[in-house]
Amino acid sequence: MSPETTGVVGIAVMLVLFFLKMPVAFAMTLVGVVGFAYLAGAESALALLAQDIYETFRSYPLSVIPMFILMGEFAFASGISQRLFRTTHAWVGHWRGGLTTATVLACSGFAAICGSTAATAATMGRIALPEMRKYKYDNTLATGCVASAGTLGILIPPSTVLIVYGILVEESIGKLFVAGILPGILLSLAFVATVALLCFRKPELGPPGPVTTWKEKIRAAGGIVEAAILFFLAIGGLFLGWFSPTQAGAIGAGGALIIGLARRKMTWKTFFEAGKVGLQTGCMVLFIITGATVFGHFMAMSTIPFILADWVGNLPVHHMVVIGIIIFIYFIGGFFMDSMALIVVTIPIFFPIVERLGFDPIWFGVMMVLVAEMGVITPPVGVNVFVIKGIAPDVPLFVIFRGILPFLAALIIVALIILFVPQIATFLPSLVQY
Amino acid sequence: MLDKFEKFNRRLSEGAGWIGFGAIFLMVVLTCVDVVTSKLFLTPVFGALDVMMLAQLIAVSFAVAITLILDKHVSVEFFVMLLSKRFQTAIECFVNFLMLGLFIVIVWRLFAYAYGMQLGGEESMTARIPMAPFAYAAAVGCIPVCLIYLQKLLTSIVETIKK
Repeated sequence: MSPETTGVVGIAVMLVLFFLKMPVAFAMTLVGVVGFAYLAGAESALALLAQDIYETFRSYPLSVIPMFILMGEFAFASGISQRLFRTTHAWVGHWRGGLTTATVLACSGFAAICGSTAATAATMGRIALPEMRKYKYDNTLATGCVASAGTLGILIPPSTVLIVYGILVEESIGKLFVAGILPGILLSLAFVATVALLCFRKPELGPPGPVTTWKEKIRAAGGIVEAAILFFLAIGGLFLGWFSPTQAGAIGAGGALIIGLARRKMTWKTFFEAGKVGLQTGCMVLFIITGATVFGHFMAMSTIPFILADWVGNLPVHHMVVIGIIIFIYFIGGFFMDSMALIVVTIPIFFPIVERLGFDPIWFGVMMVLVAEMGVITPPVGVNVFVIKGIAPDVPLFVIFRGILPFLAALIIVALIILFVPQIATFLPSLVQY
Repeated sequence: MLDKFEKFNRRLSEGAGWIGFGAIFLMVVLTCVDVVTSKLFLTPVFGALDVMMLAQLIAVSFAVAITLILDKHVSVEFFVMLLSKRFQTAIECFVNFLMLGLFIVIVWRLFAYAYGMQLGGEESMTARIPMAPFAYAAAVGCIPVCLIYLQKLLTSIVETIKK
C-alpha cells in the first residue's frame, strides 16, 4: 500500500476502534504505532513509541495542563463557587428569571478560575438547582440553563481545551486565553438575553426571587473577591508576563488551596478528593496527547495532512466554505465524542488546511472551542447533561435536552457572529506581545 | 478467583495513584516555592524544572491504572450501547485483547528505553539527576494497566462462554 492509502486505512481503523469503545488515547496510540511500523519498520515504530510516551509524560510545557486542572478542582473544593452564586443571587435574583441569570453570571465568574465545563456545570448545578426549585422555577429552564452555562468553563480563561490546542499548534497559551475573553463575555450576555427572552414570553418559567436591600447586596459582593483575586493572580500574572503558563496554574492551584484552608472549607478529605480527581483528569488528557503524538507521527509519515491541505487549498470554492465545512465536521463530531478528544484527534488533519488557507490560528482555536461547547450539551454524549441528570435524577433527560435548545441557539448565533467578525477573538491578542 | 484478581488490581492501582498524587502535589508546591523565591529573593530553586518534569512523569504513569479503573479515559460509548449484550461482550473481549497487547509492548519498550538511558548515563539538564530510574519507574507504573486488561480479558472471555 502507498503511504497515502495506509494513512486513510489507519484513520478508518481508528474510527472503528473508537466505535468499539476503545479508549480514544489508546486507540490513537495503537493505530499510530502499527501504521508507523508498516511504513517505517517495526524497530523504528517501537523506539518511537517509548520515546513519545516518555517525552510527553515529562514535557514541561505540558505540565500547564495538570496545574490548571488542579486549580479548578481546588477552587471547587474551596467553596468559591457557592459564594459567587450568593453574590449574583443577591444582585439579580429578584428579576424575572433572576436565579437563572444569577447562575449564568456565577458560571462566568467560576469559569474564570476553572477550565472545565463539567466541573463548572457540576459545581453550579449543586448550588443553583436546589435554589431554583425552591422558587418554583421550571425544570426545563433551570436544568437547561445550568448545563449550558457550564460550557463557559472552556471558553473563558483558563481553558483546558485552549491549553491543549495551544500546545498542539504551538501557539501562545497567553494569547489564546486573552482571545477567549470577549467571546466568553459575548456568550454570557447571549445566555442572559436568552433567559430574559424566555421569561418575558412565559413569566411562569422563572418567578422573581426575594428582593434584597442595598446593604445585603454590598455585603454579598464580597463573594466575588476571592475569585477575582485568584483570577488576577493566576491569569493576570500570566498576561502581565510575571509567570509562565505552568507557574500561573500552580500559583492558581496554591491560591485556591490557601483560600479553602482560610475559609475552613478544605478538609483532608476534600483536599485528597480534589487532588486525585485533578490527577486523573490530567492523566487522561496527557495520555490523549501522547496518543495524538504517536498518531501524528504516523499521519506525517503518510503525508495525508499535507496532500489534503494542498487539495483543499486549490479547491475552486471560497475559503469560508471550507472553514464552514470543517466547523460543521466539529459540530457533528461533538455529538459523538468528547470535545478534548475530538480536537486532539482532528488537529493533525485539519490544522494544516487552516494554515494553508491563511486563517488566524487563534481565531480558529476559539471557533473550535465554541463548536466543542455545543458537543457537551447535545445528545447522545452531552457530558454536561449527564452531570445535571446526576444532580437532579428526578428530571427526565429529554426535559434537560429540551431546556438546552434555546441556549444552543444562542451558542450557534455567537459562533456565527465570531465566524463573520473574527476581530472579536483576535482584537485582544493583537494587543499583547507574548 | 477473578473477583480477587479485580480487588488486587484495584488496591494496586490505588496504591500507585497515591504515588502519582504525591508527585503532582510536589509539582504544585515546588512551582509555588520556585516562583516566590525567584520573584522575591531572586534565587530560584536549583533544578526545579528538572524535578517538575520527572515528577510529572511519575505522576502520569502511576495514575494511568486508577484512571482506567475509574473509567475516566475518554471513549465513545454510544455505538456499542446500541448492540446486543452478546455482541458487546465479544467486542469487549477483542478490545481488551488488543489493549493488553499494546500495554505489554509499552511496558517492554519503556524498560528498554530506560536501559538505554542507564547505559548512556543520561542525566537531567540542570540538577544532573540520573534519568534512568525514573524511566524504569514509568515502566513499572504501567504494569498495573497490563494486569487490569488481563483481568478484563479473562472476565470478558468467561462472560462470552457463559452466553
